[in-house]
Amino acid sequence: MSAILSLKGLNKVFGRGRSAVHAVKDVSLDVAQGECLAIVGESGSGKTTLANMILGVIPASSGSIELNGVALPHKRTLEHRRAIQLVQQNPLSSLNPKRSVGASVRLGLDVYEIGDRADREGKVEAVLSDVGLDPELRKRSPAALSGGQRQRVAIARALACDSRLIVLDEPTSALDVLVQARVLRLLDTLRREKGLTYLFITHDLSVVRNIADRVAVFNAGSLVEFADTETLFNSPQQDYTRQLISAVPVLSAEELNFRSALQSREHKE
Amino acid sequence: MSANRPGSGEDTGSVKNGSMERNSSGALLDIRDLHLGFRGYTGYTKVLHGISLSINRGQRVALVGESGSGKSVTARIVLGLLQETRTARITGDVEFQGNDMSSLNASQRRALRGTRMSMIFQDPTSALNPVFTIGYQFTEVLRRVDEKLSKEAAYLRAAELLHTVSIPDPARVLDAYSFQLSGGMNQRIIIAMALANSPSLLIADEPGTALDVTVQAQTLQLMHDMVATHNTAVLFISHNLGVVREFADRVYVIYRGRIVEEGATQSVFESPGHAYTRALMAAVPRVTGGGIPDIDDESADFHDPCFTHDSPIAGTES
Ligand SMILES: Nc1ncnc2c1ncn2[C@@H]1O[C@H](COP(=O)(O)OP(=O)(O)O)[C@@H](O)[C@H]1O
Ligand SMILES: Nc1ncnc2c1ncn2[C@@H]1O[C@H](COP(=O)(O)OP(=O)(O)O)[C@@H](O)[C@H]1O
Ligand SMILES: [Mg+2]
Ligand SMILES: [Mg+2]
Repeated sequence: MSAILSLKGLNKVFGRGRSAVHAVKDVSLDVAQGECLAIVGESGSGKTTLANMILGVIPASSGSIELNGVALPHKRTLEHRRAIQLVQQNPLSSLNPKRSVGASVRLGLDVYEIGDRADREGKVEAVLSDVGLDPELRKRSPAALSGGQRQRVAIARALACDSRLIVLDEPTSALDVLVQARVLRLLDTLRREKGLTYLFITHDLSVVRNIADRVAVFNAGSLVEFADTETLFNSPQQDYTRQLISAVPVLSAEELNFRSALQSREHKE
Repeated sequence: MSANRPGSGEDTGSVKNGSMERNSSGALLDIRDLHLGFRGYTGYTKVLHGISLSINRGQRVALVGESGSGKSVTARIVLGLLQETRTARITGDVEFQGNDMSSLNASQRRALRGTRMSMIFQDPTSALNPVFTIGYQFTEVLRRVDEKLSKEAAYLRAAELLHTVSIPDPARVLDAYSFQLSGGMNQRIIIAMALANSPSLLIADEPGTALDVTVQAQTLQLMHDMVATHNTAVLFISHNLGVVREFADRVYVIYRGRIVEEGATQSVFESPGHAYTRALMAAVPRVTGGGIPDIDDESADFHDPCFTHDSPIAGTES
């Protein structure tokens, strides 16, 4: 298992003195090539801060981030920025409303100078159809699309630059359940077909169970548990992890039994 | 249980008794054939196409459906809020405690809110006013039914109520501002305030969706216990089927402004009758695994396939 991304002793402290917030505390982990690694934890646990450091949006206070074995500098080159793409929770705020869908998807190609003009148009159409959108939609404004379509545009934009590593920060949390299922399936298929690596940030444990290979659990900035998905759900080691799993609202008798078993284990230990 | 129930009797002044005989079912809230449309620049848009829904005393009824299906507008009509919107056209019957809501004027509708019916919305922190202390806001709520209540008496009563929602240090909380407290703490305060006057109906529109799952689970359990103590009925609005299953006795499924299925929670969840309900349930990823749900066709229209026996809808309009 070769690591595409390695975090080593990563810290982030916002502010200083008495008002300092230690948002990410000494986090070390490897993300394997081709896996879907979920980052879970409640709000404020440092998930977005971690993503921002990985993307180079904010500098780490200490520690290092390695991409394919090479440490990334605080100041990223274009090539570094191209290498790690982001899909955010709210596509309406992450897509510029003044830019057409096509222009948004194309922006990365222009900035990173990928291909010539004609290539770029062709690429935009290709990635739009990869995410299940009619390429004709490229002329529209993002405001004219449904929530699910917008999230597909955000995914297309991340795919356009042929990056291998995509950070997804709550990519389906704002979507209705039917739309969510379709977008999750799309993400899963794209990963398998294109050999992508996902860092999948979410607070939704039932999504994690069905999409992730491994799970990293964060609590108050620290990595408290890290295991493959089956192991984590079947025998969580931390009370915090158990609480997160048992708080998931459930539908079926099978899920109810699973939860009671989990809770009874909690009481015994 | 410490609450005396000042606002819950039919004998509370300001609202005249409507045509009682029409409400033969004895339902607390009875909505029949409710239609709603909005006039706009681009013409008239229909949003509700004949909704019928009823809630008995003390019952917890969920209205579940996707965003835009018409859940919040239904709540706003029951609360008498949407009636103030000029562009809204509302027809149909809404009866609350036997009173025809359409016969009430704006101030009579206002008199109902916070007394006989109250509400809880999505985000507890924005529901509280950051400019006033919790104690001040609580006093205002209690004075809705007892105008002359002294500040001291109101604080005592508020502290008692905060205690019932497991707030350990009520005196400190009453002097605090919402932004100084956690989301979970604010949600407990909201629950205590909403039930302070023992309303007969609580409308909870996506309560706690803005909170973390663990906090949401705890506060929903608390709300469940509290409404039972106050014998308050609930119209519980949610897009989350799991949350609905854990909270409600009875479920109405709404799809594009129509109720497509209703029934006891357990029976709807065990044997959903309508294709839309089945699709919704199939789309929820399971915490026990099983893979990403396979939901076909982006453009599926669930009004198209015919309605099942227990669907209350007889036909479609375009
Ligand atoms: N720019 C910032 N300045 C100060 N504190 C911040 C900043 N960004 C995040 N934080 C704090 O860092 C902690 C982690 O936040 P965040 O990474 O957004 O958590 P999550 O994404 O898990 O909800 C929180 O306490 C948050 O208030
Ligand atoms: N004041 C308004 N003017 C025009 N359209 C409105 C207004 N309020 C709500 N709508 C529309 O009514 C529909 C139902 O909205 P709502 O009840 O808020 O849905 P939800 O089920 O998500 O709560 C939506 O299409 C919404 O855009
Ligand atoms: Mg975040
Ligand atoms: Mg709503």
